[in-house]
Amino acid sequence: MNTIIAEVKEIKSVDNLHIIKFYFAGTILSMMSLELDENIKVGVKVKLIAKSTHIAIAKEFSGEVSYSNQLDAKIVHVENGELLSSIKIQVWETTLESIITKDSSERMNLHVGDTITALIKANELSIVEVL
Amino acid sequence: MIDINVNKKLHGTQSEMLLDVKLNINHGDFIALSGKSGSGKTTLLRILAGLEKSKGIIHLENNIWQDHHSFKSVQKREIGFVFQDYALFDNMSVLKNLLYVNQDKKLAQHLLDITELSELKHRNTTTLSGGQKQRVALCRALMKKPKLLLLDEPLSALDPTMRIKLQNEILALHQEFNTTTIMVSHDPSEIYRLATRVIVLENGKIINDGSPKDVLLRTQGSQKFSFEGELLEIKKVDVIFTAIIAIGQQLVEIAISENEAKDLKIGSFVSVSTKAFSVNIKKLS
Repeated sequence: MNTIIAEVKEIKSVDNLHIIKFYFAGTILSMMSLELDENIKVGVKVKLIAKSTHIAIAKEFSGEVSYSNQLDAKIVHVENGELLSSIKIQVWETTLESIITKDSSERMNLHVGDTITALIKANELSIVEVL
Repeated sequence: MIDINVNKKLHGTQSEMLLDVKLNINHGDFIALSGKSGSGKTTLLRILAGLEKSKGIIHLENNIWQDHHSFKSVQKREIGFVFQDYALFDNMSVLKNLLYVNQDKKLAQHLLDITELSELKHRNTTTLSGGQKQRVALCRALMKKPKLLLLDEPLSALDPTMRIKLQNEILALHQEFNTTTIMVSHDPSEIYRLATRVIVLENGKIINDGSPKDVLLRTQGSQKFSFEGELLEIKKVDVIFTAIIAIGQQLVEIAISENEAKDLKIGSFVSVSTKAFSVNIKKLS
């Protein structure tokens, strides 16, 4: 599980549907959610999670993509299994893991030290704790 | 090996039902017998125990428990039995309850050690808690060194913590004595923890028979995280819809698309699922 500590910047709501924006690592993250804990307000710090299997990686990325969350990161570790690869990436002080197929990892020629963009859809981020 | 091929007409509350069961059980198997109430589970146990007559045969290895000509009584079947309610002798101590069945003091002490009842062995059984009584009942059933142990929802009256404790003790006893066991249970976690094989009865017939994982893990293709529940409400929110579903004692809310919402009817039973890769897990304190 990947943990991200972020600060709530903005909350937009339609009925019980919410888009929450956070400050994190010099950029803005977006999260889509149903129901929202009343303690989650602008200015509070929260712990966010994203599953490793939900973090995609783009290299030398150009053009537009609908992923709301695009983080510039550096690969710090690559572990290749038989079918899958675990790619550890660093975004400022935070280390995240992306699990992708080994085929993708090899196709993209991912190595430690590479600069990449980590992509996370807004519905794949969740708040686990208000700090 | 136990060969079972029995049938019996049952008069249910609604209609007549034919209990018709053909089953081979290997020595040392731990079988969970599951199914809705009224499906014939308890009747099948009573037939195996010799408490109820039926047509057909029951053989345990070369030993005939019943066939077309003969019928062995419950005392002659080498069976251990534990019911939901504790059938202990109230005017006796824990130890005496065990020795009443069989004078083997060493075995009694060994059973009491495994179930952590040694310190209570001189207590009168009326002073014991529900969980303790059920452990005594279990030990007493094993004092006969039965060829077959029949458990009819033995833990269903206990609280969850005590259930898990007794499940572990049942498991320890099974590993120690390797007694062929049939246990009626509805609790998936209990079945998964204890059983090597699950048999599901419906209207007196076996409708499913397999490993706990195969029978209990409800999967559709690659969806490994799957529950069934009742659809309570669908609400439009922005361009999507949300559905409230009651699953067991809990309500869940999921986001769905207009297309998905269109085909769903309030009050109908639905299955909700996601892939094993998508689920978040968190330790409860």
